[in-house]
Amino acid sequence: MCFKNLPIEFDETGKASLKEGVRDPYAVAVAEPKGYVRRNEGPGAQLAAPPRLRDWNIDPMTRVAGALAVHTVLDLENRKAVEAHARAMLFRGYEIILQGRDPRDAIDISSRACGVCGGVHATVSSLCIEQAFGVCPPPLGVEVRNLGEVGEMFYDRPLHLGLLAGPDYSTALVSVTNPELVTRAEKTLAPHGDVHGYRTIKDIMDALNPLTGQIYLEALEWTRVGRIMAMLMLGKYPHPSTLLPGGVMTTISTSSFNEYYTQLGKIFDFAKVICRIWDDICDFFLEANPAYEQVGAREMNIAQVGIWDDSTAYDATYANINHWGKRRWSKPSMIIDGKLVTNNLTDINMGFEEFIEHSFYEDWTRAGGPRYRTDPLGNPISPHHPWNKTTIPKPQATDFRGKYTWDTAPRWDRRTVETGAYGQLWGTALTGDSQENPFFHATGHSLQMVVPRHGLPETELEWKVPRTLNALERNRARAYSMAFTSTIGMNCMLKALEYWRRGETKVHTPFKIPQDERVAVGFWEAGRGWLAHHMVMDKGRIVNYQITTPSTLNAAPRDPFGGLGPYEQAIVDTPILESVPDDQVKGIDVLRAIRSFDPCMPCTTHMDTGKGVIVREVNSCGCTLE
Amino acid sequence: MESFKRPQQAIGLIDGYDPLDPFAPIGVRSRATVEPPDSLALGPLKKIYLIWMVGASCDGCTVAVSGGTHPRVEHLLAGIIPGLPRVELVHTVVSTESGAEWTHNLFMAERGELDAPYVITWEGSIMDESISGDGYWMGLGEDPATGRQITSLEWLDRLSPGAAAVIAIGTCATWGGIPASKGNVTNAMGMMDYLGKDYRSSFGVPVVNIPGCAPIGDNYLETAAAVCLFLNGLAPLPEFDELGRPAWLFGETVHRHCPRAGYYEEGVFAEEYGDKECLVELGCWGPVVQCNIAERGQVDGHGGCMQMGGICIGCTMPGFPDKFSPIGAIAPGSLISSTTSRAVGGFIRRMRGISRVDKNMTPRWDKDIPTGWSRAKTGPRGSMKTVHKFYSKYQHTHEGHN
Repeated sequence: MCFKNLPIEFDETGKASLKEGVRDPYAVAVAEPKGYVRRNEGPGAQLAAPPRLRDWNIDPMTRVAGALAVHTVLDLENRKAVEAHARAMLFRGYEIILQGRDPRDAIDISSRACGVCGGVHATVSSLCIEQAFGVCPPPLGVEVRNLGEVGEMFYDRPLHLGLLAGPDYSTALVSVTNPELVTRAEKTLAPHGDVHGYRTIKDIMDALNPLTGQIYLEALEWTRVGRIMAMLMLGKYPHPSTLLPGGVMTTISTSSFNEYYTQLGKIFDFAKVICRIWDDICDFFLEANPAYEQVGAREMNIAQVGIWDDSTAYDATYANINHWGKRRWSKPSMIIDGKLVTNNLTDINMGFEEFIEHSFYEDWTRAGGPRYRTDPLGNPISPHHPWNKTTIPKPQATDFRGKYTWDTAPRWDRRTVETGAYGQLWGTALTGDSQENPFFHATGHSLQMVVPRHGLPETELEWKVPRTLNALERNRARAYSMAFTSTIGMNCMLKALEYWRRGETKVHTPFKIPQDERVAVGFWEAGRGWLAHHMVMDKGRIVNYQITTPSTLNAAPRDPFGGLGPYEQAIVDTPILESVPDDQVKGIDVLRAIRSFDPCMPCTTHMDTGKGVIVREVNSCGCTLE
Repeated sequence: MESFKRPQQAIGLIDGYDPLDPFAPIGVRSRATVEPPDSLALGPLKKIYLIWMVGASCDGCTVAVSGGTHPRVEHLLAGIIPGLPRVELVHTVVSTESGAEWTHNLFMAERGELDAPYVITWEGSIMDESISGDGYWMGLGEDPATGRQITSLEWLDRLSPGAAAVIAIGTCATWGGIPASKGNVTNAMGMMDYLGKDYRSSFGVPVVNIPGCAPIGDNYLETAAAVCLFLNGLAPLPEFDELGRPAWLFGETVHRHCPRAGYYEEGVFAEEYGDKECLVELGCWGPVVQCNIAERGQVDGHGGCMQMGGICIGCTMPGFPDKFSPIGAIAPGSLISSTTSRAVGGFIRRMRGISRVDKNMTPRWDKDIPTGWSRAKTGPRGSMKTVHKFYSKYQHTHEGHN
């Protein structure tokens, strides 16, 4: 029984239904926003009362992909952040542009929703459309998709760890905010210096320096290795050119496998090194000051939908979605308060809702009843579910008590959930093994991996579920996901070669476009986790197309019940650990908290992207004055 | 709003910060990078600011350029390529500074306070902020004096007159792209639509257009490098076509250099996805689309569309995406052209086949081919032998005529 807030119950056969006697099962009672909100008592006055509160508007928030702004209030008396608003700053209208089109266009158009996660949208759109069309790809087609998407993750991880998050732990920045840590780092030998070659922690921190550090500069080159692997299978990156419903267009040859395999070898070594670099950095900060455990910490609610299909189980149907979903290498998993509550994609789909009380959209539920009350299997769904959603944009002035972002507020069972690369490890580790393989083993509380030899010897790595979900652990797990993904790449490679050996060389199944009404959903994961495309089609045309991305979840604003979004929760109560006077506080810990999510805004608001951070209550100040 | 003192100022976050201080309040400024010694003077332009701005973008152009290798972006930033200026990049994805410290770069550019010329590269469509009411389609930074939200479009208005060049990158910025296609809610458009045909940069250049969705990173980097070499007096001004595209990159159809074009010539077409032959009958638009991915690849010569099996969907063209929809359907004109190619090319292919059999023979294989790989064939026999005899004779009568 995974639902605590939505009135959904299951009978003995596992069939879901709404509890009887609940008059309005999906009622939304809008609560007053909680937390610190400034009062309208005249210009500047609201901040005079608590004299050491600092109102800080970060617009644009940099070293994230896309347009994000964050408003936060720092309490310098108690040295912590006390308020946060995450703002997506861009709207483009992709969901509206997709309406009325031939469904075949959706793959290439929705791909352009995000060029950072440059292949996942095309992939998830293929999954969604093939479900609607009733066409299942041949097994080699599934493996080619897997291999391409393994390559994409090899581009994604070094980009974030090296170029976006890494500089926050570099000598250049830490010497400004915490000079004592640099002194300490100089004297601290790196525990894994034999693996990565940096003698002291200070050497690692030097290598993380933006534009000049070795780790920073090499990260760009590593992204190129990942891109080349993605392109060998998907043609082009970003925006693949070989994906379509029913498989891929890719012309596979002996060369494809040879070239892919030789790149994968390099990745094995990189994975061994990057895990140890981040182990050393994270452990150094946590030992120097245990309070770093609270930077970016929030409740342990993680939503993952799974990625990398088992080509022997995947059949593209919604009817069997729980079966093939659980066979994915990285598991669909809903973790609430640190406990795994379900691996069923139908449960994950059923409990999912999007709210717009604090977003620049109009409420679609007021325009009559929902289009669908259940999914195709009879499971109840909310009027706020994407299949029932209509995107109605309404740009307007920013008001932190009202509407302040182009992002919506997705919730599961009305709880705030986050998602990420780290969630793939988290969910898979808690789920435990489902497929025997020589390269990794999920124990229920950890992931044990054997990364094959290349230039560096075969290496056993173990990632253990941490006790807190915080900024450092997000980054550490993202580094370990390089190793996890490399073992999955090896598994998929062996499977693909097996099909190749058996002469099962087809990569695509032909399809016909159905003319009746169909609903479908594609679930896949981006570099940052959760990705869903929900589609309704009729008469061979798209009626509704809804995209929810990882940063739709993570950058979400408050919900109507007063709950904060994941970035907002992670910022509030983040301690300010800088060892400098108040007037020199840079807010680095808040920035670390946000960047640890690896924000990727282009596709967040269907897409609205925001850049930067904003801190003003435009309405409360402006209205009073006028 | 005059009496409204911004909270930051009241508390002193922004106050008293020196914009030239390499350690701005939030993090390190990008320009804290040490200036490399440059003893060889190869032209007057030593440094250039690249202000990378976005409209309705997906960041795919940024990603594409960061994958480029000719030259690598990190080499431009380090200023280690002789003859090319060092590039100071002001870009939200890579800049170390955030918020007001980041937008400060833009204010300095507008006031002419930067110590080198700046180029604007714009990614994403231009969205019409006159229809976004009190809100915005794309907000980027705020006015430090009033706290007013600034849109990214306002930055374009403020910075385009003083820019050394405005380079539109990607199909959204050049022609409008997907945000400007059917269903366009933001009245999105391309850079030329917005700035107009009379726009000239401070160096007298109209808008430069580098299309593609996503573009090939090297197409952008190569064009930028070529322009910089010109400005340093080391190379000619690169040639641009009537739409402002680099002519040497976009002057040919992608079909002409496609590795599968030879199949088209011989009238052989892929029947299903995954086949190795010409993709025109599976929906490829290559024969009419101007693009160079077939010879350049996507990253460092790797990948590409038709090379890997993908049909051309016309993503570099002003008509993308609507005029190429539905993607995967066969281009109407291809019925005529591929039928013709089947007839003519089919004949040529058979003729070539005859010749190929002969060229696969050494002189001593006339009676028996010593291969263990297939049932041994002896060379051409009967009438074919006669054909080859005449062919060979004809070949030799033409010796010396080149």
